[in-house]
Amino acid sequence: MTTNDTISTTVEYAPEHTPRLNWAEQAPEVFKAMVRLDAAARKGLDPKLLELVKIRASQINHCALCVDMHSKDALAAGESVERIVQLSAWEESEHFYAEKELAALALTEAVTVLTDGFVPDATYEKAAKHFEEAELAQLIAVIAVINAWNRFGVTCRLVPGHYQPGQYK
Amino acid sequence: MSRTTHLDREVGQAFSALSAAAKKGLGDPGLAELVVIRASQINHCAFCLDMHLTIARKHGVSEKQLDLLATWEEAGDLYDERERAALALTEAVTVLTEGFVPDAVYDNAAKYFDDTRLAHLIALIVAINNWNRVMVGRRIPPGGYTP
Repeated sequence: MTTNDTISTTVEYAPEHTPRLNWAEQAPEVFKAMVRLDAAARKGLDPKLLELVKIRASQINHCALCVDMHSKDALAAGESVERIVQLSAWEESEHFYAEKELAALALTEAVTVLTDGFVPDATYEKAAKHFEEAELAQLIAVIAVINAWNRFGVTCRLVPGHYQPGQYK
Repeated sequence: MSRTTHLDREVGQAFSALSAAAKKGLGDPGLAELVVIRASQINHCAFCLDMHLTIARKHGVSEKQLDLLATWEEAGDLYDERERAALALTEAVTVLTEGFVPDAVYDNAAKYFDDTRLAHLIALIVAINNWNRVMVGRRIPPGGYTP
């Protein structure tokens, strides 16, 4: 029996993958339009709420780069670790969030997953109770825009892990 | 309860600018409509289908290609290999919730589209997904589009 063996604390991780395509370089006009769109859509919305919406959509769409980026941005904006961690199970951890945030998260899921049906009236109406009309229209636009970034990220297999908070602001 | 028809002017212009840049870079208006219509079918966007079926006819896309688009995989040689590659990519990029964009689908698209065209094809799929969300989210009825 050996008692002096030490468990190695350094674990070798799998190698990092390479991206498929640098789409922004191949389509600079598209990239410019996306940046402009992102800025226009977020106008008038609370930045902390925005990050919750962006993280949740990115989880659903499995965009690794986007989850990395928006979790870091949320933390940098003063968001708590537990509210970020609980996001993937928010329906069972409602007491971590305000009613307005819960309404926004439900709308985020409905607008992100269009393939299973439409955006239910109950979900829309709950959101409309907490957001006035112009704000609600912006929220829908923001959900569409994070879905857009998610699609570029996943399709081009962009690599997570290198983002620094505020890098693109 | 009726839903909002509001869309911030700047946001609307930015959505349009994105679509225009993508379409221009792809440089194939007929194929662009096939892609946009297929995504709108998957996302159940009535407004978008109505609008893009009208535009597709204007660009001379055949009635047969429009009729059978939902079943393109089973439609034999009605769609050529390049169109099929683009449609497979459209489906994969539109339905991210069931997994990633498979290598086989991506690699096949990359056979028919160089990097620049491929980036714009992806952007076009992204752009119609934006419109689908904004229209379905607000339940905008079909028929509002006039060429």
